[in-house]
Amino acid sequence: MTDKADTKLQIADLTKSFGSLLALDNLNLDVQAGEFIALVGPSGCGKTTLLRILAGLEEPDLGGIWIDGREVAGPGSDRAVVFQADCLLPWRSVWHNTVIGLEINGRLDARNREYAMSLLELVGLKGFEKYYPWQLSGGMRQRVNLARALAVQPEVLLMDEPFSALDAQTREIMQVELLRIWEQGKKTVLFITHQIDEAVFLADKVVVLGRRPGRIREVLPVTLPRPRPLEIKRTAEFGHLVDTIWNLIEQDVRQSISEENARLEIGAD
Amino acid sequence: MTIATDGAVPPAGTAPTPSRPGTSRRRRNVPTSPARQKLISVASVVGGLLIWELLGRFVVSNSLFLATPLQAMAELARMTASGELQYHVWVSGQEFIYGFLIASIAGIAIGLAMASSRAANAALGPWVAGLYATPIIAIAPLVILWAGIGIWSKVIVVISVVIFPVIINTEAGIRSTDKALVEAIRSFGASRTQLFTKVMLPSALPFILAGLRLGIGRGLIGVVVGELFGARAGVGFVILQSAEVFNMPRLFAGVAVLAAAGIALMALCRAAETKLVPWNRS
Ligand SMILES: Nc1ncnc2c1ncn2[C@@H]1O[C@H](COP(=O)(O)OP(=O)(O)OP(=O)(O)O)[C@@H](O)[C@H]1O
Ligand SMILES: [Mg+2]
Repeated sequence: MTDKADTKLQIADLTKSFGSLLALDNLNLDVQAGEFIALVGPSGCGKTTLLRILAGLEEPDLGGIWIDGREVAGPGSDRAVVFQADCLLPWRSVWHNTVIGLEINGRLDARNREYAMSLLELVGLKGFEKYYPWQLSGGMRQRVNLARALAVQPEVLLMDEPFSALDAQTREIMQVELLRIWEQGKKTVLFITHQIDEAVFLADKVVVLGRRPGRIREVLPVTLPRPRPLEIKRTAEFGHLVDTIWNLIEQDVRQSISEENARLEIGAD
Repeated sequence: MTIATDGAVPPAGTAPTPSRPGTSRRRRNVPTSPARQKLISVASVVGGLLIWELLGRFVVSNSLFLATPLQAMAELARMTASGELQYHVWVSGQEFIYGFLIASIAGIAIGLAMASSRAANAALGPWVAGLYATPIIAIAPLVILWAGIGIWSKVIVVISVVIFPVIINTEAGIRSTDKALVEAIRSFGASRTQLFTKVMLPSALPFILAGLRLGIGRGLIGVVVGELFGARAGVGFVILQSAEVFNMPRLFAGVAVLAAAGIALMALCRAAETKLVPWNRS
């Protein structure tokens, strides 16, 4: 369908199991350069596992990942992760957290410093360089997290439920901010979320994963125009897309919830 | 720092569990202003000394059993004027500083080794756990026997009591590093060495400092007990000598010096913590 030359990230035949538990089963996905992909799916379907393999934190059993046609293994600064939890180093100021990726890769030169500074401005944290994480709100911390990931100028940005710990208002603000920042550089983004409306609002394509073992059930293009204001969430088209996706995973989510409950009950005995 | 705010420092445990830094919070339900708290603290100390002074004068007037604070202070002044105090403090101070420094450096090194190598942990773990729980001060007479009554026997005693909390806290500090932080930095392609120096070590720093603080109290006890078992000089020696001749003002002067040393060292430690781990006190 799309030109192979434009493929930024290629995931081929990815399989991963933990002991007898098959987490990912022969997963294939091509992501175009500059594309914003949202990944949704029921809890436990392997989203985080996929992201960890992409980040090089976990080894796949089978299959591989290619970025710009090069196979990648292990962590590297061609990818950067924005994690769900607060993963800032508490003993480093905002500035020193932002540049740690550069520092680790020995790339902390004047030009990259300047770039990191411009990123802090972009995420709205200019003037907070000397602050420590505990002096910031949750939303601000997640902005630093984002700046830290962008600072290494990754080819692909990986995000695992980055806003799930934020309150509803901050979350919406961060969604708008993320889009604004993304429009500036058009990075290739893989964004995991549980919130379908978040996925639709942000993404060019929503990839729906089925219940474990993780397989792609459906890839839905989101044709909403950009830039997208928050009000777009109230349009009929938006609601229709959310409904479609919800219907796709409803059955799976119900099953995985009841499985989880069963597991908890067994654990409680 | 007033005594009232001391709740914010890690507890000085004696169990082999490391004291966890920065988990306790100041109580908010008592609306006492800091100035008022300070006043209460000062009043409490002054009042206590006053009661002691009165007890010593009018109730336990036998000077063979109790000296009053004023008598102890007068004795301190006399000893300072003659230069005697400085001499004994210098001797004990050397014993403490040498012992404490050696124990800190060796303890941190051993703790780091235990945290980063399973083999080292397996080999040293049982010794450390066993000796930490043992009242190792009991070997002090033996050390005096071996190393003589000079300062080195006391240095050895200090090392033997200070090193274990330092090892245990260092090791626990490294081990308790947040896995999520390690992964986040690893995702940038950090090497093992980089993970160690940029994540694990800073994360363990509050624990290491808490271990050193535990070591201060234990080290002071080590100096005094060591000197009680055999010495020619030092604050513990002064106390022992005074007790033998029932010179109570001199004995209490010695105790006062120890108390002052403990308070000063703790304050120093807290200042170092504020400076080195500012993130740990929100
Ligand atoms: N290190 C591991 N060891 C064993 N099992 C694991 C490990 N990591 C993940 N799993 C299992 O693999 C499956 C997929 O987990 P994963 O965390 O990828 O799910 P997820 O889609 O991210 O779920 P959620 O939406 O709840 O975050 C789960 O059943 C999980 O229990
Ligand atoms: Mg997950």
